[in-house]
Amino acid sequence: MTDECSSDTAADTPTRHDETIRCHPSIIVERSLSAIVVLGVLATQLGRGAVPAVFAILFIGLVLFNYRQWSRTTVRFDETGVVVERNTLFKTKKTLPYAKMASVNINRGVLNRVFGTSRLQININSGSGATVPEAVLTFRQDVAEGIRAGMAERLYGGEPVPEEEPAEPPVTFSPADVIVHGLFSVSTYQTVFGFAFLAYSVFQLYLSAGVGGGALVSLLMFVVVQLAPSVSLISHYYNYRVYRRGDTIYLEHGLIRTYRTSFAASRINAVRVKRTLAARLLHRSCIEAEVVGLASGSGESLRPVLCLLKDDAAQQRLLEDLVPEFVYEGGREKQPEGAKGVLRVRAAVASFALALAMVYPSIAVYRATTALPGIAGTVLPWVLPLATAAVVLAICYATYVSYRVTEFGTDSDLFTFVNGAVDRETVVMNYDRVQMVWITKGPVARFFGVARGQVYLLSAIGGASVGSGYFDEGRLAAIGETVMARIVSGEYDYRKNSV
Amino acid sequence: MSFPGPVSGQAPADGGSPEPGAGTGGYRRLNRKCMLSMYIDYAIGYAVLLAAYILTKTYGEGFLGAYYDPVGYGFLVALGIALVYIAVAPPVFYARYRYRITEDRVDVRCGVLFIRHTLVPIERVHQVEIARGPINNLLGLADVTITTAGGEATLRYLELDEAEKVADRLNNLIGRMLRERMPTTPGPRPGAADE
Repeated sequence: MTDECSSDTAADTPTRHDETIRCHPSIIVERSLSAIVVLGVLATQLGRGAVPAVFAILFIGLVLFNYRQWSRTTVRFDETGVVVERNTLFKTKKTLPYAKMASVNINRGVLNRVFGTSRLQININSGSGATVPEAVLTFRQDVAEGIRAGMAERLYGGEPVPEEEPAEPPVTFSPADVIVHGLFSVSTYQTVFGFAFLAYSVFQLYLSAGVGGGALVSLLMFVVVQLAPSVSLISHYYNYRVYRRGDTIYLEHGLIRTYRTSFAASRINAVRVKRTLAARLLHRSCIEAEVVGLASGSGESLRPVLCLLKDDAAQQRLLEDLVPEFVYEGGREKQPEGAKGVLRVRAAVASFALALAMVYPSIAVYRATTALPGIAGTVLPWVLPLATAAVVLAICYATYVSYRVTEFGTDSDLFTFVNGAVDRETVVMNYDRVQMVWITKGPVARFFGVARGQVYLLSAIGGASVGSGYFDEGRLAAIGETVMARIVSGEYDYRKNSV
Repeated sequence: MSFPGPVSGQAPADGGSPEPGAGTGGYRRLNRKCMLSMYIDYAIGYAVLLAAYILTKTYGEGFLGAYYDPVGYGFLVALGIALVYIAVAPPVFYARYRYRITEDRVDVRCGVLFIRHTLVPIERVHQVEIARGPINNLLGLADVTITTAGGEATLRYLELDEAEKVADRLNNLIGRMLRERMPTTPGPRPGAADE
């Protein structure tokens, strides 16, 4: 559970050990603000008689409650960790040992800027609760920076903080790069879905010669599915900067809320190079890392982006500079002939199921529209059969591409899976980070003598798996055997890979 | 635990010693009671599906309209497939299920339609849990869930004694591994300052 605390009184330096401090009092405003909006709306809607007075009393009660929470929550930085203690009706004491911390990051929202504060987010290296920080503490900006610097010294081995010695990023990102990333890093399926809504909305506008309900809903869906994620990405990665010093990787970005994140490169469990269809057409790719313990608790993607969509050469250069540990130089193999059989059977089954499911609706639409006059009566009866045929063709093409692009490769320290008929993804993993291996063979795969592998890792959202294509079972089993061999031979060093 | 016969399987690549009393290749099989547990489990699920079908047939005509018949046929097909699966799955599951615990790994091979081979290095095990639902409780069976940082693997339908032994063995192996890793020179105990 996140322990959210905000107060200050921390004009005095909180980095002095064993000194008990409180967070900045602006947290009372921050916590009460959302309630005043809700109560305000309710009061406007139901604002008769004593209702506004009741809402006002409720609001005052909430402010007093938040004040009490703030005044009775203390933070102590001692020799071994951070202790957050709340002495209210439900008493809590949370100790976060420095030894178990994955990251200490700062981000600033609009209210933080108004009050001159920053949110210090402490994450523990844990798979459970990986999506929310273990503690969110609001302090005056300079105090938060001081605390973070002090804690970074402990976490990352006494390296200087970036402000003291600014580093030259190996690759710079212009606002145009950020916009391109925002527009084209969204998954192709999502983009197609979004534009389908837009097309439907335009079609409705054309039919009704005015803004009708259907057109508005479709337009809204387009905004939610396509436009909002792109704008959110542009705002999130505005002013993007990434660099590495020693074993620590630093990320800085953000337009409205600013983020300053750092984590040890040794905490990266896998690296994903991603290319959406549009990005591939532009010869661009981006890099994401699987790092546990970077949750901000604000709903953004938890995987840190190490490189926004950038031309492939720059992406490769950045990969080599930032995470040389994950540069895979071994060979890759295509799927064997048996995989072709499995993929064809899968495509046939999917096409047959789709065709079967569409028979009844197609007949119904045909009967309902065949009597319509004009072009509607000519086109509409055939819309569903034609759409079904188009989807079947798409399935066949995706099967062909999937067979062609799916790859698997191993070398002494790393192994890689390449997947994705439309949006392509190359995942590079280290054997020492593998938690568990599954090899699965369905009845068709058994007939063709192939299997699929799933590798379980500790990811940014807790446990997650990365799947392979269809390969020979023995080749996939080699992943698990290499993991075991490295443990048995002592090549695996638990001190470098503790989770 | 009974062993219906030698089990063919791959020998541990590392030569890690399997549990005493295991079959060929170090693999163990389940007790036949697992089939009974599965039959009861499936029967409950089937009864729910059947009830949904009866309710749909009785009251569904009004709101399903033109889809009433297709939905009914769909239900019948699903009920037929489920019945065949329920009859066949438990013996197949029993025949295929085998597991092995060596000094360094947990190895499980199982599945009815899809055969899965799970490999969990002991080094990655964080937690071992024994769980029993009401049916397994009645039959004296239990599941052992092995949690790693990346996910879980489950040894299913073990006899209660066997489940306890498996959990103990895993805990001992993990404990031994951790003891071997402890520094020989005593250092300050983490978190001691909090106390």
